[in-house]
Amino acid sequence: MSADKPSTALTSRQQLAVVVLAAALVGAVLAPSVYAATNEPSDTVAVVEIEGPVTTALADDVESELADVRANDSVGAVVLKLDTPGGAPVASERMYKAVQRTSEDMTVIASVQSISASGGYYAMAPADEIYVLPTSTVGSIGLNAPAPRTTSTPLGPSGPDKAGSNPTQTWAAQQTLADTFVDAMMAERGEEFQMPREEVAKAQVYLGTEAVQNGFADEIGSLNEAIHAAATAEELGEYTVDTRETGGLSGLPFLVRTDTQVVAIYANNPGYADVEPMGLTYVHWPAVPHVDTIERFSETDLRTGDPTQPGGATGNATGRLAGGVGA
Amino acid sequence: MSRLPTLAAAFVVTLAAVTGGAALTGYVTADGAAPAPEIQNDHYQNPDLIANDTPGQATVEMDATARSQTVLVDPGVEPTSPGGAFPLAILGLGGSSVADRDIRPLANALIENGHEVGVYVPDPDRQRRPAPPGADPPTQLGERLAEADAFVTFRTDYEPDELDAIESFVDSGGHVVLATEPDAAYSEPGAASLDATLGVTTESGYVYNMEENDLNYQRVYAEPTGETLLTEGVDRAMFPSATPVGTTATGSDVLRPIAGSELSTTRASTEAPLVVRDDDVVAIGDSDFLSPDNARRADNDALIGNLADFLVTNDRTPPGSGGASGPTGPPGPGQPPANGTAG
Repeated sequence: MSADKPSTALTSRQQLAVVVLAAALVGAVLAPSVYAATNEPSDTVAVVEIEGPVTTALADDVESELADVRANDSVGAVVLKLDTPGGAPVASERMYKAVQRTSEDMTVIASVQSISASGGYYAMAPADEIYVLPTSTVGSIGLNAPAPRTTSTPLGPSGPDKAGSNPTQTWAAQQTLADTFVDAMMAERGEEFQMPREEVAKAQVYLGTEAVQNGFADEIGSLNEAIHAAATAEELGEYTVDTRETGGLSGLPFLVRTDTQVVAIYANNPGYADVEPMGLTYVHWPAVPHVDTIERFSETDLRTGDPTQPGGATGNATGRLAGGVGA
Repeated sequence: MSRLPTLAAAFVVTLAAVTGGAALTGYVTADGAAPAPEIQNDHYQNPDLIANDTPGQATVEMDATARSQTVLVDPGVEPTSPGGAFPLAILGLGGSSVADRDIRPLANALIENGHEVGVYVPDPDRQRRPAPPGADPPTQLGERLAEADAFVTFRTDYEPDELDAIESFVDSGGHVVLATEPDAAYSEPGAASLDATLGVTTESGYVYNMEENDLNYQRVYAEPTGETLLTEGVDRAMFPSATPVGTTATGSDVLRPIAGSELSTTRASTEAPLVVRDDDVVAIGDSDFLSPDNARRADNDALIGNLADFLVTNDRTPPGSGGASGPTGPPGPGQPPANGTAG
């Protein structure tokens, strides 16, 4: 269009130089971030929260976060922040495997807040160290299950075990499930436990002060101390903390126990579809409120406005319970 | 205009060279994150981890050749509960009942050997009927016991006049089996009165064994303390929820829990017996061991057969029964079974 205006036109060589210079400048701006993306320093301690009942939703999140941590070179160490009474067996095993894989890559320290029992203990067992507070609760290595009941003969299914089973088969299945848990804990911490397998299988819970004596935990320390210990173990020097919340989006249920089993309730005002019987659980039974207790609590609270009345004698347990169900 | 593609190409090449170089340098100098190795969890692959779920076999046999005896069973049905069909159920004529199912191996053994099995279910209407003036009518239980030779009870909450009837029954040579549960001391009233009547004791708490058990720590094994009628063919019996029992008599222990057993209330090891016998009374610290499922565990079938023998081998002659079911005692060789089915 202005080809015949010679005065300000650059020569083709000049034009090329300008373009290359521009490209070099843009590249220089991008280069640090590109370099950083491929060679980030490991200066972050990721804090992965495992809080509330152990459910599929929680396991989904914890697996996802830990996979991300393993793939992210900027993360040099992981601290698990635990506050859970346990829950579903498979969800516990999934978190156990995820923590196990992560601890192969980097230092993983578990930091127990109020409680990490049963399925929660299962999940954190592969950590390099377990930090507890003096009155944290840990342990309860075992299965919660109702005694198998005989039922009248089901008519219609295609095989004898399709819609029912022999009580002995159910007893055996429950024993296998319990032994799977205990064996895994013995494999992970058998050298730390200051007691034989039979004693571990009694599923007792211990306060932090006792847990560091009998091998159920390693150190008395807060979350910050656990973070610092993890950073120190990986020689991170200056480090940042990246807290990763879990289980929030899909909504964690309330765990409630009946006389025979644990049920998960997925709504504040639940209908039938919101209540899911859990049957077999790796959960610390006393940390789950009985459904009658909840009814009493609600009624008393509404009538007298005094929410402290029920469970007053077990204030400690009630406190844990609030954290335990993630209400 | 032909220079425009050339310039564009130059821009792209230069940018790619700079950023690509940075990326390459980053990768080359990075520590490298190798994928996590596969983790072999041997503890998940141990074949011994899988508990044996074979239900087992049960053959309940009786050795006693006593004539037809009447065994009364009190399953603990409350007078107000809808248990009216139970007496039919035990004969296979009514609907299923947990209580019926639970005693079926023992009841079958008795029936197969020609003995009568009665089930005591109190009639609530009859209880409300006033007693005739000046009379001291027998209780419903007393009436049934008067016709019986042996008594099996799973109940603990008897009225004082019912306890008197039970005491008279034992004094007249009737054999009694008391099957109690760890819960009896907690949730059911009157257990101490029945225990006192029969001269037996129970302890609070249950026995468990973490070292060796039958698929659950509460399903404990017990072994004989000696050779008696009750332990014939029993190397080891299994009790699903047992509480220690005792008597005032010496040498009454029949079965004691195996090594490693502990008591829930003390968490200390226990050898306290789970089955005791004091002459005409056998006390068992468990009531589930004779259900069909549990009869197949260990030597429970032999124990159940022995209990059936104990029940029908008594010195009692119910009043008014004449010689029909007369004194039985240990049968002699020349005393054939009344209906030819026993033995």
